[in-house]
Amino acid sequence: MFGLFAADGPEVHVAPAKDFVWHGLSITNSMLWGWIVLAVAIVLLVWAARKVTIHPKGGAIQYLEMLTEFASGVVTGAFDDKNKGRKYVPFFVTLFFFVLINNWSGLIPGVGDALQVHGHPVFRPFTADLNATLGMGLITMIYVYVASVREIGGFGKYIRHFFIGSPLNPLYFVIGCIEMLTDLTRMLSLALRLFLNVTIGEIVIAVFAYLGGLLAPVSILSPITALPFTLLELGVGALQAYIFVVLGVNYLAIAVNSAHGHDDELEPETKAGAGRIADVTGVVNV
Amino acid sequence: MESIAHGIMIGGGFIGPTIGIGLVGANYLGAVGRNPEAAKFLGQALVFVGLIEVYGLLAFASTFFVK
Repeated sequence: MFGLFAADGPEVHVAPAKDFVWHGLSITNSMLWGWIVLAVAIVLLVWAARKVTIHPKGGAIQYLEMLTEFASGVVTGAFDDKNKGRKYVPFFVTLFFFVLINNWSGLIPGVGDALQVHGHPVFRPFTADLNATLGMGLITMIYVYVASVREIGGFGKYIRHFFIGSPLNPLYFVIGCIEMLTDLTRMLSLALRLFLNVTIGEIVIAVFAYLGGLLAPVSILSPITALPFTLLELGVGALQAYIFVVLGVNYLAIAVNSAHGHDDELEPETKAGAGRIADVTGVVNV
Repeated sequence: MESIAHGIMIGGGFIGPTIGIGLVGANYLGAVGRNPEAAKFLGQALVFVGLIEVYGLLAFASTFFVK
């Protein structure tokens, strides 16, 4: 019985596989699915954006408006000055929808291990590819850096905002340097978080589909055992899209809020992100 | 032997994040119980769940690379 489970598990893929080579450029299965999803998403969202009116007559467009409103509320809510945050709404709402649509489209049956040609899947969720999420993390962090330098007003001032007090104080200097190093790891942590959540979700679904297939002679139980985890992954996908945007916005808001704060000497992080965290823990500790 | 090592990696790696998520949830519910106004911090709590979760997934993912 145990030999049955341990001998050969389901085939799991952590890295994307090459679908075909086009002029020396290898097209992987995640790239292929990413392009398809992107094309469909652009067409659908542009069509939906034209349908938006002041007095909607109901329909799916309202849910789209609700999501947009939610995402833009997240973006503007992170800034001390709401009007300051409004110009960053387009980028981050786009990012939110991009991650959300890619996460959810990866759960469509047929994307992943189900549909295989020559021993590897034809399609793979775009966000289940470290190259894709690393690219998204890179673009987000470059955008954040450029925007923060512009908001603070100069590269020197931007470097200065890492230091709590005077950089000549050795303790503050070391803390500031560590703070800068932490800043550089943010891109990697954004990318790894999204990649791991989606990939492990795919693997868990594959494992439970396989276990369901073991129980019945024909793999009729596979969809039933895989269904709860697919539904769980819907929630995880939405949560990861939210977290990606919230973290990106907060990285930017820390710098922007410190630029417009009244006290330059105060640690910027306590104002933007940790201020609200302290509210939560304060309530608990009363 | 390798599968035992993988089992220990996954099991050990998931202990911390599960305790962490339990603490986040417990403190959130405690906060809401004391002060129902705090229910609006659900989004913040979920962000922390996402931050914690990734370390368990890292342990899981490293089983595919560690031979």
